[in-house]
Amino acid sequence: MKSIHVGFAGNPNCGKTTLFNAYTGANLKVANWPGVTVEKKEGETVYKGQPLKLVDLPGIYSLTSYSIEEKVTRRCIMEDDIDVIVNVVDASALERNLYLTLQLLELGKPVILALNMMDIVEERGMEIDLHRLPEMLGSIPVVPVSARKRTGLDVLMHAVVHHYEEQHSPHVVQYSENLEEKITILEEALRRKNPGIANTRWYAIKLLERDEEISKEYPLNLPEVLDRSYEKDIINQKYTYIEEIIEETLFYKEEKGAFTDKVDEVLTHPVWGMPIFFCVMAAVFFLTFAVGDFLKGYFEIALDWFSGAVSGLLTSLSVADWLISLVVDGIIAGVGGILTFLPNIFILFLALAILEDSGYMARVAYVMDSLMGKLGLSGKAFLPMVLGFGCTVPAVMATRALEKEKDRKRAILITPFMSCSARLPIYVLFADMFFGNYAMVAAFSMYVIGLLVAILVAFLLRLHDKKKENGTLLIELPEYKTPNGRTIAVYVWEKIKDYLTKAGTTIFVASIVIWFLLNFGMQGMVADVSDSFGAVIGHWLVPVLAPAGLGLWQVGVALISGISAKEVVVTSFAVLFGISNPNSAEGMASLTSQLGVYGFGALNAYCLMLFCLLYTPCAATIGTIKKETGSLLFTLKTIVFQLLVAWCAATIVFQIGSLF
Amino acid sequence: MTILDGKPKEQYQVKAINTEETITRRLEALGINEGTVLTLMNRKRNGAFIIKVRGTRWAIGKDIAKGILVEPAGGRNEE
Repeated sequence: MKSIHVGFAGNPNCGKTTLFNAYTGANLKVANWPGVTVEKKEGETVYKGQPLKLVDLPGIYSLTSYSIEEKVTRRCIMEDDIDVIVNVVDASALERNLYLTLQLLELGKPVILALNMMDIVEERGMEIDLHRLPEMLGSIPVVPVSARKRTGLDVLMHAVVHHYEEQHSPHVVQYSENLEEKITILEEALRRKNPGIANTRWYAIKLLERDEEISKEYPLNLPEVLDRSYEKDIINQKYTYIEEIIEETLFYKEEKGAFTDKVDEVLTHPVWGMPIFFCVMAAVFFLTFAVGDFLKGYFEIALDWFSGAVSGLLTSLSVADWLISLVVDGIIAGVGGILTFLPNIFILFLALAILEDSGYMARVAYVMDSLMGKLGLSGKAFLPMVLGFGCTVPAVMATRALEKEKDRKRAILITPFMSCSARLPIYVLFADMFFGNYAMVAAFSMYVIGLLVAILVAFLLRLHDKKKENGTLLIELPEYKTPNGRTIAVYVWEKIKDYLTKAGTTIFVASIVIWFLLNFGMQGMVADVSDSFGAVIGHWLVPVLAPAGLGLWQVGVALISGISAKEVVVTSFAVLFGISNPNSAEGMASLTSQLGVYGFGALNAYCLMLFCLLYTPCAATIGTIKKETGSLLFTLKTIVFQLLVAWCAATIVFQIGSLF
Repeated sequence: MTILDGKPKEQYQVKAINTEETITRRLEALGINEGTVLTLMNRKRNGAFIIKVRGTRWAIGKDIAKGILVEPAGGRNEE
């Protein structure tokens, strides 16, 4: 049986993804839309024997072609990839959500309205007339659902399966006489010129709005009809109709609870907003380090046992020594070492997911706007920076929320300075080894320094910039809500899967390459690591890195390998110094004493952490920057710039620190 | 007057929107049009504003706020 393609469309924060996840679970295919880096999520489900392909379209407020997300959604629906549109609507914000609904209806495709968050509507003492609402929307099916409580799910799919062939009339909104006349003339002309067009009304409206894409694809030479852009009129008349709908279908039984307003009075307070935000971030990092480290202990015990068992097994099978070395010192030490950081990463993403899903994240943009404004960035640019604490790749992608190219490039340039979770293993290891009781302070200082460097760079760019235009902040502050377990679980699982995939691929390969470089030299396999290829490369870097207190050839090798993925720096140290588990007490003691022989102390360790924080981001980030900016030159400049910043910062700290 | 001169918890009616073309269209699509009544929820000194329009809260930057011309609509935060 042919599967029905169902597109989930709706405003941001309407619970669209939660509803989508309720059908597909974590079982989805995440890819990018062709040509752009907007995430495309697809899943499959079956309703009473009918296979359904579900597509989660990007969250949008309207169907114009101002943003990439809007263009993607429009193209996907228009180019017949979608058989039926499920328009997910936040019933508690019906008035704003209906604007997109009216635009979707004009497309002429079958639309089913999923009224989400009906429980909140009830809580607030509101009531929606479920008979009148569909009548006013051209008799489309309207299904109340609760994505969070998982009710109404079957009814919605039932509606999809039974109504997907019903074309409805796209003629829901009746515009003013003048506009309707123009639409009729344009429809006539379009039909004559492009007989293939199914829904001429939509194209006529888009032409009247002077829509860029449609005007280019279907130009009409009717200057007396298309004398100006009628976009404003069309928008206003849609809203007039929405006001009518609201008047006839929405009733207030009692005064609604202003829970969000009360919370906002505290969290977005003009004075306390910012300190509260910094406390929240500090709490997130405390959890990540303290609780994460506690759990990490168990991972390490398991890894030690596994490493010993494999080594014993291979020896008993009389496997060649080089192969045992490759498996135990190369692969298990490399990949396993990274896996022990899973608890830290898990907690960090869990916390970020909770902040996001509860609605607090959007407030951060508001709270930080005045500070960011001084740096010539909008408060919106702070969101990619916060995401940068998790992973730089999605953070760089998130800069697309900024409208202006210049703002985006500036945000992309500073985002990698935000310390991502891959750098965490480096701090944890070196801070634990050299800073004892102050380990957490040393590690936390990296996050603060990263933030300060980002701010400083943005500030200098602003001074350099003559125009001094401000970025614009325009962002929805959703209602606060209890985070949804399922949404968070799916989000965290996706991130963990990414991390595990990276451990299984990039880091697996990097471990083998590093192992090879360190165990082979000009004479073939070498017994002493200082005769290896790696040592040769590392020795070249010694004079450059010496002023920064990093004049050890092993450090050079580790830093180069760290470009494949920052965690690999830890892996390299483990392999270079022959330590099976650098996180165990014995492993650390051994590494500290080996480094001590070279005079590598706490100051050097701090400089190393600092260098790792600031230097060239990982290969995946570089690739993303290239893709997002489309400029190789900008990407190369970013790399060189960050190397310079890292070297200068580490050198300054080391030279000043050495005076004491 | 513009939103810049507004007081928190007061209601205002939009008289005109005088911002960059794309921003104006975006505001209109979000339901902030001429004649719309909005509530100024919160503001920071020299900073951003939170407004509530058609049941939704928006954080808007100063540069947008100064382009939204309003006049007092009377009545306090009732919606």
